[in-house]
Amino acid sequence: MRRTFGGVTLGRWLGVGAVPIALAVALGQVLPTAHAQAPSGVKLPDLAGVWDGTGRARPVNSEKVPWGPSNFPVLNERALAYQKVFDEALSPKYDCQPATPPAIEYDPYLMEVVQWPDRVLFRYEKDDQLRTVWLDERKPTSHDYGIQGFSVGRYESNALLVETTNFVFDVTGFDDYNGIPSSQLKRVLERYWREGEELKVTVTVEDPLFLRRPASYTARWLPTPKGTKLQAFDCDPETARLSVKFIPPRYK
Amino acid sequence: MNVRQRLGAVASALAIGVLAVAPVSAHHSSAEAYDSSKSVEAQGTITRVLFKNPHSFVFLESTDAQGQKVEWQVELGAFSSMTRSGWTKEMLAPGMVVKVTGIPSRAPGSHGITNAKFAKQDGSPIGPSRSAQ
Repeated sequence: MRRTFGGVTLGRWLGVGAVPIALAVALGQVLPTAHAQAPSGVKLPDLAGVWDGTGRARPVNSEKVPWGPSNFPVLNERALAYQKVFDEALSPKYDCQPATPPAIEYDPYLMEVVQWPDRVLFRYEKDDQLRTVWLDERKPTSHDYGIQGFSVGRYESNALLVETTNFVFDVTGFDDYNGIPSSQLKRVLERYWREGEELKVTVTVEDPLFLRRPASYTARWLPTPKGTKLQAFDCDPETARLSVKFIPPRYK
Repeated sequence: MNVRQRLGAVASALAIGVLAVAPVSAHHSSAEAYDSSKSVEAQGTITRVLFKNPHSFVFLESTDAQGQKVEWQVELGAFSSMTRSGWTKEMLAPGMVVKVTGIPSRAPGSHGITNAKFAKQDGSPIGPSRSAQ
């Protein structure tokens, strides 16, 4: 017996329905269609675009930037001990290990932001890194540890708030200029907002294994000319390590 | 090829010139590898150029005062940053004879330079024009 719905057979219903469903499923993979994570009435800040974080926008990072006299972290004894024995040649950046929060946000390169309903993508020209900030209230699992951690976020008061946890121990994970490590308990909070044409962020770092209290800095990006694209970084292991031989060896 | 190496406490004189190729890509602290309280000058023939990230390098062959061959390794910025500043691969190519001034490397006996300013033999600067930077 053939079942009908409004004179249309079930098979035809399913056949006709399958096309848009399949399309919706396929498009859902690349074009999310609803701002489901923005509470109704909350105005989403427009953070999307390619942003200039080079020396044109702010002082280039160094031993005193962005962590200077006014905001240098208060290190606990463990951190001071690590800092004391730190050997620059050990720094993983000399083998192309990527920068991580809170350093990668301040590296003097371009950054692209893509806002999707269920996530925000931060693509960094430096080290070709991609950070995904999940807006769908998912939680990290015990399998979600990594050098960039696991990021969740939400929109609030015309800003994007990001919380990143689940980092792995990194010998220069707080700051690679001053030899300050970060632990698996590092928690990085970021608040992104627009101020006129600029994109701004306040980055706050907590790490009870190394910091006595949270430390933070604020930075800005400038808009880039229309059509600007990020370049591939393609970190080259040979050149990354070439200058290490110029560092007087600290240990034999 | 003559080599002149002048080391002295003249960091201020080296304060990044217009054409200096400082490692502003901020991959690492140059203070660990280079001594900004000193300056160095070298002249020689470019033998190899690595336009790469996180840093580019130019290798220069010259001879020291004793007539011994010396290879200088000149550290530049990230190539992605250099191109954005107007640098092209043609500006520094193997076979060119250049003069380099900059900050010397720290390790004893090493021949490294950073914060480099390049010039041709006639003294004319090599690099993007001021407007391109």
